[in-house]
Amino acid sequence: MFGGGHGLSRLMGQDNIKPQNVGVTLRRFAVYFRPYWYLLVIAGVMLIGATWAQIESPKLIGQLVDCYLTPSAVSAFGNTSFAEAGGLASGAANNCTLEPDPGILSTAERLAGLGRVSLMIVGLYLMTAALTGITVYLMNWSGQHVLRQMRVELFNHMHRLSLGFYSKQEAGDLMSRIINDTDTIQQVFNFALVNVISGVLLILWIGYSMFQESFVYALISLAVVPIMIITTMWFSSQARKAFRQTRLEMGSVNAELQETISAVREVQAFSREQENIDSFMATNAANRDANIRAVSYTSALAPTLQALGYLALAIVAGVGGILLLRQQPLFGTVLSLGLVITFLNYVQRFNQPIQQIAVLWTNIQSAVAGGERIFGLMDIEPSVKDSQDAKVLPTIKGQIEFKNVYAAYTDEESVLNGISFIAEPGQTIAIVGPTGAGKTTLVNLIPRFYDVTGGSILIDGLDIRNVTKDSLREQIGIVLQDTFLFSTSVMENIRFGKPDATDEEVIAAAKLSHADSFIERLPDRYNTVLGERGSGLSQGQRQLLSIARAALSDPRILILDEATSSVDTRTERLIQKALQGLLENRTSFVIAHRLSTIRNADLLLVMDNGQIIERGKHDQLLDQQGFYHDLYMSQFRRIEPDEHKGELGQEMQQMPVGQD
Amino acid sequence: MQTSSIKNRRGGIDRATLSRAVQYLGRYRWQAIIPYVFLVIATLAQLMVPRMLGNIIDTITQGTIAQALVPRMDSIPEGMLDQIISAVGITEQQLLYSFENAERILIISALAILIFAILRGVFAFLQTFTAERNSQSVAFDMRNELFAKIQSLSFSYHDRNQTGQLMIRATDDVEKVRLFIGQGLLMAVGAIILLTGTLIILFSTNVRLTLIALPILPIALLLFMFFGSRMGPMFSRIQKRLDKVNTILQENLAGIKVVKAFTREASEQKKFGSAADDLMDQQIYVARLFSVLFPFVILIASLGQALVLYFGGRQIIDGTLSLGQWQEFSLYLIFLFMPAAQLGMIITQMSQASASSTRIFEILDVENELKDKPDAIVLPEVEGRVKFENVTFRYFSSGEPVLQQVDFDVEPGETVALLGATGSGKSTIINLLPRFYDPSSGSITIDGYDLRDIKIESLRRQIGIVLQETTLFAGTIRENIAYGKPEASLEDIEAAARAAAAHDEIMSFPQGYDTPVGERGTTLSGGQKQRIAIARALLLDPRILILDDSTSSVDLVTEAEIQKALDELMLGRTSFVIAQRISTVINADQILVLDEGRIVARGNHEKLLEESEIYAEIYSSQLIGDMDDQDLIELGFLGE
Repeated sequence: MFGGGHGLSRLMGQDNIKPQNVGVTLRRFAVYFRPYWYLLVIAGVMLIGATWAQIESPKLIGQLVDCYLTPSAVSAFGNTSFAEAGGLASGAANNCTLEPDPGILSTAERLAGLGRVSLMIVGLYLMTAALTGITVYLMNWSGQHVLRQMRVELFNHMHRLSLGFYSKQEAGDLMSRIINDTDTIQQVFNFALVNVISGVLLILWIGYSMFQESFVYALISLAVVPIMIITTMWFSSQARKAFRQTRLEMGSVNAELQETISAVREVQAFSREQENIDSFMATNAANRDANIRAVSYTSALAPTLQALGYLALAIVAGVGGILLLRQQPLFGTVLSLGLVITFLNYVQRFNQPIQQIAVLWTNIQSAVAGGERIFGLMDIEPSVKDSQDAKVLPTIKGQIEFKNVYAAYTDEESVLNGISFIAEPGQTIAIVGPTGAGKTTLVNLIPRFYDVTGGSILIDGLDIRNVTKDSLREQIGIVLQDTFLFSTSVMENIRFGKPDATDEEVIAAAKLSHADSFIERLPDRYNTVLGERGSGLSQGQRQLLSIARAALSDPRILILDEATSSVDTRTERLIQKALQGLLENRTSFVIAHRLSTIRNADLLLVMDNGQIIERGKHDQLLDQQGFYHDLYMSQFRRIEPDEHKGELGQEMQQMPVGQD
Repeated sequence: MQTSSIKNRRGGIDRATLSRAVQYLGRYRWQAIIPYVFLVIATLAQLMVPRMLGNIIDTITQGTIAQALVPRMDSIPEGMLDQIISAVGITEQQLLYSFENAERILIISALAILIFAILRGVFAFLQTFTAERNSQSVAFDMRNELFAKIQSLSFSYHDRNQTGQLMIRATDDVEKVRLFIGQGLLMAVGAIILLTGTLIILFSTNVRLTLIALPILPIALLLFMFFGSRMGPMFSRIQKRLDKVNTILQENLAGIKVVKAFTREASEQKKFGSAADDLMDQQIYVARLFSVLFPFVILIASLGQALVLYFGGRQIIDGTLSLGQWQEFSLYLIFLFMPAAQLGMIITQMSQASASSTRIFEILDVENELKDKPDAIVLPEVEGRVKFENVTFRYFSSGEPVLQQVDFDVEPGETVALLGATGSGKSTIINLLPRFYDPSSGSITIDGYDLRDIKIESLRRQIGIVLQETTLFAGTIRENIAYGKPEASLEDIEAAARAAAAHDEIMSFPQGYDTPVGERGTTLSGGQKQRIAIARALLLDPRILILDDSTSSVDLVTEAEIQKALDELMLGRTSFVIAQRISTVINADQILVLDEGRIVARGNHEKLLEESEIYAEIYSSQLIGDMDDQDLIELGFLGE
């Protein structure tokens, strides 16, 4: 059913990764299946029943031949006494077990026997169908429940993991790994497992009953099976190698397409069309050739197996026939025509399962490997956890104290080295300093995205490690430089800050953040559904939304990472205004890039190399003529005409704006 | 070329479009026919196998009878022998022949099966392989055509279509069409041949038994078609729900900080849980359908066998059918059933391929609105005199104009600064110049040549463009600088890089100019990219230059360097600048202030400061807008 040329190349096209520790991983899968053990037991019994029925029906056909049909040739003699007298009936060997003496049956008796056995065979067919159906359903049902459970547990675990974990992982890599792994497991639960188990069972059982009937004849009949297995294994491994190449080539084709289409404006501006076409044709041709090479293996496999299957038929019929003609027993077993026909039936059933098992086996292997990786993820302990006796943080005033705080992402390198300061409730603390000074690390410690490696952080006198993370974070609002929006409506994105907010509250927050005016211009206003990660909005608009989100959550403590990326001036002013409104009456930490923020801050922390090197108010720091003074001066140069490189104050006199 | 029709996009099969796709095979002439020749041979060989097997069994039965009868021939009464011989259905000669040759016939038949098996194997392989090869060639052609077409389509086409959408057509859609051409079509033809051949054989051997078994054929066909038609939508529903699960996962991974910051874990987990439930429910629904339909299909096939078993058995007992024919018949029955299954599956493939080819031809059939006129001339080396005459532009013929009656003259070597709010039409002017769009009315001339009368390529070769967002292409730095002029020498490239203040930094990379960049190469900073773009434009040595002088967030030293490089670049060329810097504006020969698609003020800096309020406003708010009012007061820009 799932064989077919296309399916074959699709399955072989998948990457095949071998699991490291099969036993452990399987045991962990087993834990998930435990709640459904009774279903699996039922499925197992059903499967055995279905396979038994498949084994029995060829036997019955053999009996049909030996008991009721072969003697009919003899009956052509008109059922005369002569036939018996001439010993004709015993001419052919007979394995009939249904009738004591098939040779003497009348036509009517034969017809009745034929009807009886046919009905039995129909019964077996019905049984196979019903039991197979139930097995497939039960296995699928429990498999899907297990997979759902794994998905949910993994998702919840990803939430528990602390940011330290995510800073070491590319979200995209993590994502595609999880998607691929669950997908492979899904495929296995969908059909691979059922097919492989029933295939293996069928092959073994057929083999067993063939050997039971006649050991040597079975041996001869099954002679091609090892060849089938070897061929299949060889072809699949070759095909896999070849398909690995096609994936690479297809990747190049995609990359080139992607690049050219997304940069089509530049391509046309530089008149590069012809060069690109030539280059694409080369990549495209390599892809075609790799595919043709790969397909030579997949297109050879099925015909080879089919030919081998026919060969097996020829052997069974040929050898069996000669022995029958010569009436020669084969190492003690007397063959009958019925037995030959039973064997012919059996041999035909071998072909498909072997092919399926070969293809699906690696599928199962990959799924185990995928499970291994997923369990590996689940085993990672979050580094930031609520302590056992963590209390709920009461509503705070917002005093924050850093006491000799150290922080490090790795054991070797410390990012913060002995930071101490106190922020009083309602104050705005601006943090300035060059890239890599530790500004972001400092603010990340407050909501306990990371834990300090030394010292402590107190909020209203409580060590934040002694309170629950949730109660802490609920009182902290954060606006990130790289704003993250979800692909839902604008309304829902703002409401993210406070899930139980009414529409009115959301709109009020948007107004407060000056996001209202652009939202009103969106096609569906607040109900406009955003694209992935807020695509469709400009950087500035995204930022306004994230400010509204923070405003709605009405936190006691606010953390802002001001944006530096170029947004248009009007939006920038809006953002600035919105932020000012937001800062009021909250203890705020701002990684500052704007003059106004810096000037209005109650406390400026100037950081370099993980230390606070200067602190105080704007004017005080300027007077010190130190690091901050230099930094401040360089900020002003941005707005200065290029050709004027002199001292600021003087230059401004020459600027002819707004002096009237 | 015939136009593709869009009707029946869902589910239905558009025969015209599909046959147009199949016609791509026509380019390969005899190669396209070969798989079908192989197919016929392979199918005939396959059809012979059951017959040979039947032969063997009949030889066995006849041989046993002959061996029992012939030695006693003399002792059998004359009348009875005739009776027996006629009852067995063979003549006396045949009986004698059987007696002597049974073993030989048997071996020959077995060998024949072997030969047919090999023939079948070899030709089935050749058939699949050549068909796949042809289909890969067709996919190759289609992709090339799509690539060339997409590249050549105008900006306005690309404005309307997303990269991802176009990508899917060149990859997934081509693949679906390829599958149909490579497998589906062949399978369909093969199925029909096998079906017809089998029917002929069956009818010619035993009409009565054939008529008994025949009814399973339409039942199977219907079942498979039902199966096939259900599978597509079912799997796309699963895919949709899977996408939802993955989107939530993706957003939670990428936005983990936001989720944690707002302590939204619980509600996100609930959301994910219910999406996972939805997915599971759909999976189980499909499993239920599968576990009913799949065994049912097998059952139908088995019941066909059972019918033959019983009625064939009756005929054997009657003496009108031989055991060999009976076995043969049941083998042929499989050949009746298999193609029915294939045909059912092909229906799905066909409707997918039809929808896909419609999407492919939609692109290939797009009329490119920007094309060289048949009598377009090559633009000679220009001096750089640019004239906009009464230019009005709309993106869509019915839409609001984004430029209205824009008129201006630029002398060779002049710098034009374009000022205005977002959406005022600055970038439209810049896009009209290299003829990325055509004006809706009015005209643009360079050195007196109307842009519509000259070859686009000769126009664009003389215009250099530096935009704020620079795309670097996969390749080395050297290739990227030489993007517009692939034949440039390394000396020229280095000279351009030096002038763009990029050389020293490039040399600091271990591989220098051969450093790979782009998606799979080294990541360059915004400032580095921008300077490479400047070098790229410098290398072209264009007479006309278009640039956006805003510098993305780079450190101060770099910013100064970039600005110097830009000034260098503009020297002596007719330049159009979307101005962000005060110095550019002050130094410009002409400033065009745009508002809602119109030029609302023009002139140089001094003149505009005196005459235009709007300019003064833009000047203070946009160019020095990094400061708020208080800064400006403090710095002496504004009075208290």
